[in-house]
Amino acid sequence: MAQIFPKWTNRLPLYLALGVLVIGTTVVLLLWYYGSPRYLEVGYRPIQPVAYSHKLHAGDLGMDCRYCHTAVEKSRFATVPPTQTCMNCHQLILPESQKLLPVRESWATGDPIEWVRVHNLPDYAYFDHSRHIQSGVGCISCHGNVAQMEIVSQVEPLNMGWCLTCHRDPAPNLRPVDQVTNMAWQPPADHAEWAARFMQEHNIRPPEDCSACHR
Amino acid sequence: MSPIKKGHTLTGKQYWRSLDELAGTPEFEDWLHREFPQGASEWNNAWSRRSFLTLMGASLALAGLSGCRRPEEHIVPYVKKPEDMVPGNPLKYATAIPMGLHACGLLVESHEGRPTKIEGNLKHPANRGRTDARIQASVLDLYDPDRSTVPSRGGVRSDWTAFVSFWREQFVAFQATGGEGLAVLSETFSSPTMMRLRRAFEARFPNARWVAWDPISDENRYEAIRAVLGRVHQPVFHYDRAKVVLSLESDFLLTEPEAVTATLGFTSGRRIESEKDQMNRLYVVESLYTLTGANADHRLRINSSDVGAFALAVAGELQRQGLAIEGLNGLTVPTMTGRAAEWLAPLAKDLLRARGESLIVAGSGQPAAVHALVMAINGALGNLDRTITYVDNRDAAYPSTSGLTKLTADMAAGKVSALVMIGGNPVYNAPADLNFAAALSKVATSVHLSSRVDETSAATVWHIPRSHYLEMWGDARSLDGTLSVIQPLIEPLYQSVSEVELTALLASGESARGYDLVRETWAGLVTGNFEVGWQTALLNGILSDSALPSIPVNAAQVGIAQAMASHGWSLRPTATTNLEVVFHPCYTTGDGTRANNGWLHELPDPITKLSWDNVATFSPKTARELGVQNEDIVSIQLQGRELSIAAWIVPGQMDNAVGLSFGYGREKAGRVGNGVGVDTYRLRDSQNMYRAGSATVSNTGRRYELATTQDHGSMEGRPIILMASLDEYRENPDFITGASVIPEFMAESEKAKERDLVREYPSSWKEPDYSTGYQWGMSIDLTTCTGCQACTVACQAENNIPIVGKEQVRKGREMHWIRVDRYFTGDVEDPGMEHQPMPCQHCENAPCEQVCPVAATVHDTEGLNVMVYNRCIGTRYCSNNCPYKVRRFNFFNYTDEYPETIKMVQNPEVTVRSRGVMEKCTYCVQRINRGKQVAKLENRSIRDGEVTPACAQACPAEAIVFGNINDSESRVARVKRINRTYSLLGELNTQPRTTYLASIRNPNPEMKA
Repeated sequence: MAQIFPKWTNRLPLYLALGVLVIGTTVVLLLWYYGSPRYLEVGYRPIQPVAYSHKLHAGDLGMDCRYCHTAVEKSRFATVPPTQTCMNCHQLILPESQKLLPVRESWATGDPIEWVRVHNLPDYAYFDHSRHIQSGVGCISCHGNVAQMEIVSQVEPLNMGWCLTCHRDPAPNLRPVDQVTNMAWQPPADHAEWAARFMQEHNIRPPEDCSACHR
Repeated sequence: MSPIKKGHTLTGKQYWRSLDELAGTPEFEDWLHREFPQGASEWNNAWSRRSFLTLMGASLALAGLSGCRRPEEHIVPYVKKPEDMVPGNPLKYATAIPMGLHACGLLVESHEGRPTKIEGNLKHPANRGRTDARIQASVLDLYDPDRSTVPSRGGVRSDWTAFVSFWREQFVAFQATGGEGLAVLSETFSSPTMMRLRRAFEARFPNARWVAWDPISDENRYEAIRAVLGRVHQPVFHYDRAKVVLSLESDFLLTEPEAVTATLGFTSGRRIESEKDQMNRLYVVESLYTLTGANADHRLRINSSDVGAFALAVAGELQRQGLAIEGLNGLTVPTMTGRAAEWLAPLAKDLLRARGESLIVAGSGQPAAVHALVMAINGALGNLDRTITYVDNRDAAYPSTSGLTKLTADMAAGKVSALVMIGGNPVYNAPADLNFAAALSKVATSVHLSSRVDETSAATVWHIPRSHYLEMWGDARSLDGTLSVIQPLIEPLYQSVSEVELTALLASGESARGYDLVRETWAGLVTGNFEVGWQTALLNGILSDSALPSIPVNAAQVGIAQAMASHGWSLRPTATTNLEVVFHPCYTTGDGTRANNGWLHELPDPITKLSWDNVATFSPKTARELGVQNEDIVSIQLQGRELSIAAWIVPGQMDNAVGLSFGYGREKAGRVGNGVGVDTYRLRDSQNMYRAGSATVSNTGRRYELATTQDHGSMEGRPIILMASLDEYRENPDFITGASVIPEFMAESEKAKERDLVREYPSSWKEPDYSTGYQWGMSIDLTTCTGCQACTVACQAENNIPIVGKEQVRKGREMHWIRVDRYFTGDVEDPGMEHQPMPCQHCENAPCEQVCPVAATVHDTEGLNVMVYNRCIGTRYCSNNCPYKVRRFNFFNYTDEYPETIKMVQNPEVTVRSRGVMEKCTYCVQRINRGKQVAKLENRSIRDGEVTPACAQACPAEAIVFGNINDSESRVARVKRINRTYSLLGELNTQPRTTYLASIRNPNPEMKA
């Protein structure tokens, strides 16, 4: 009677085991990479209801971030400006522009503009802008060089591990408090010593406790 | 393993929490040995577990498909940003809550225009920053989804303009007759603007009448004052000045409207720092077990109808000991028997010793005769103008049951053609013999101002939605006369008007804005520049120096015998063996107006620990005689009226007394309150407002399930509350050391005797360094804590704690982060009572952390035991391992189906938890972080007292102190150095950050019990 299974089937379990190992590792690696915030979140670049250009306002015109994001030094939210802030200038500048139509409509009707959120943290993470600004963390550290962005996109993954890298070693991301909004600021050669002194003087000890952000 | 000596306490008292525990019944044993009660983890719904899993599987698969796409969120800024508004930083506004004839000053937190949390106003003398559970929960009423949204006429949707034009026609017609046949029925109030408008109304319609009435009030007290002094003056009790307090069935610590003020004053006389300090002494004579009785140094149970006779016997004894009491001649002093007789001599002696510093107060349920007698005794003891002052409040509308009786009779006789009811709910809560509903149907034009279409609104022609006090302009005086503006936090959510606006329309025929009306009144109240004075009053929440001057009352003026004779009052002991029904207001629902408030329904009664129901309470002896057990439905017959209600046994209640609380059994309260409990107003008549003799009670044989939190999280009879009398404390100031339990294996250790266990026996875990930075700690003083549970509701409001409902509470799934445990001590028939607030103890050596498989509960560097919701996978091991049973598990997604309006009350600073997550007290970490943020922006460290958790902030007894224990000068560090400090279950070496101060009572050494 002929063998039902040919001889190579003896090694089938081995092949299967190897196959499972290879495929399993590949799946894990793929998920690890493609499922990470660095892949999924970075580069998120939604189209806003108003074609507002940060490059024009913050870059070419050199407006300070805080002209619009007024609460960034006082509150945990940086806040998106009310329509009123836009109209401060655009009553007179480009009052007929087609691009600004949604702004004028909002001003006339009282209906707010619904901006699309770019930097979105989970609801259980309570990030506080004011404490970071007060500690000399530049806007650019988390938001990238917004002054060069025609349309704002996310440049950092904003996951917890990424937060903790800086909380464990904040010095490279610190700068004088009056330079936090300056997108062109470059650290001087003696930055490390300056940062150590600055942290000492301002009592900067970034927490690594869960309760710092989660509550 | 039994290294722990059980039940070893200083006083050797036996502590027990329920009758079942004392008897050691199998049910209790079973309950005790399960972390979660039987069936708690089973899904007993109409859906089977299997079908649930099937459905969940399907929805998970669908959810998986849509999960790849990032959800698009929007940021919606203002169009025009209001001044001073910074999103993310809440604002606080001063306002006041009107509570009948009283008012408390508040600071209300507003997040982007939504009021979310109520706190007391430190500048207001009535509550000095403190609140109670009722005030805390009132913010939820604002967002009540069952509030009515538009006026209606005959049940058909209408609007305010239609009502204004309707009233103009009426106005013209009534003006012709001077208001003949026109009547207004209002709640009591103490408000200059309301009184101004009422006078305008009465001037415009001289033939109309205005009756003020509340179902539960101090009317008897006012009647006595009127009889004795000739007109009503408002008494102000100064508990802070009293060394000896005698309560004659007055529950001044809980159910009376001025409870916050009284608790503040009373506990200030009990706060001791060392054995050398003095304490006040409280005697309570009462029929039911009240919270005031639970805090008494001596408590005497007696028939409610015998309290008057007892008071007269006290007066007689005082006279015998040499005190002259004016106008008592001609009254026969009754003879007391039993314990009451033993009480008289030492009590009278104590009162005489504290002349001018004692205070006798009779409860609102006691008849006017008792109040008049108490006035006379207080006068003779020299207490008037000292511990009791009287003010002449011309802005107060006092309650009048006789006025209501006459009004109802005239309505029934067809003499009233138009009735306007400003608030109140008389169809539900008027005395049953008046038959208010039938009388109302004879009135052609009836108008009711009410927050919802309730029992009364359903029977009137017009229903006008009433504004919540957080959305209206008004003003209110507290008992001492201090005047506050009621300032709105938000525009009315619906088409509602305030009582001020409605009264203005009644009086003038013109619709006016509340803001203008209040300013018009205040133009006559503010001295100097009006705008400056008005803005200052708005900012401070009070008009400075507005407390009314006290009226000197001459003791000789108090002619009790004449007053009693002329009114036909008597004070004879009844010596009845019949069952006596005693009505009392429910702490939470009050007279029934708060019946749609889930926070209050879920708050357990401080005495019975029952939530979501009212019951008939009996003493153990009476229950035995009647053959009644807990949860039996009994039928109570009283003067031809009948009521079926579940029974509950309360040790310490007077035999032959049946306790019934008001405020339940609403039919039109809303989705939360409808059908909760039984309406006991049906038994009440206008002659027997607070008690009625000769009731018959029979067991119907039916059973009714009640939800009690009594035995939840039991501590197995170990010495949880340490207590001593003041004399014992003075004899042995370090009694705590002797009373604490030391495990046998370390009994010989010197360090163990100093209770410094962890340093002697280092833990197996890596101990973090707690010597630097902020180290948070809390101290709870069991001497001043009254057990009122203001902390529980304050915590619920601050921390987005869900309401779980009766079924879930019955299964032991209530979510309160700080519960208040109640223990009985001593004799079953007449026990003492102790209360203990129980939040997470924030152990440095936390048992919960050691068993969490996913590190979802860990320590932070400031000593907080933190709970990380997004890590928690719901194993519940932590709760199993917690010796204090303070961890709460979300068995369901309780917040998922909240109506939109209820979502508005949620605190945006705190995560809303979902199903399958453990939660517990965080020491209000959001407030700590807010404090750090403010300090950081000012480049300084947090000051002592700057961060206060919600429980400590609310506590009217100021029993909870919180702060940085690393700062030896902080208040909490100082309090923790008091020699009464002990750690709960310290022998487990958990090193809790929350410690307790042992309870000290101050019994009279000359009195036996």
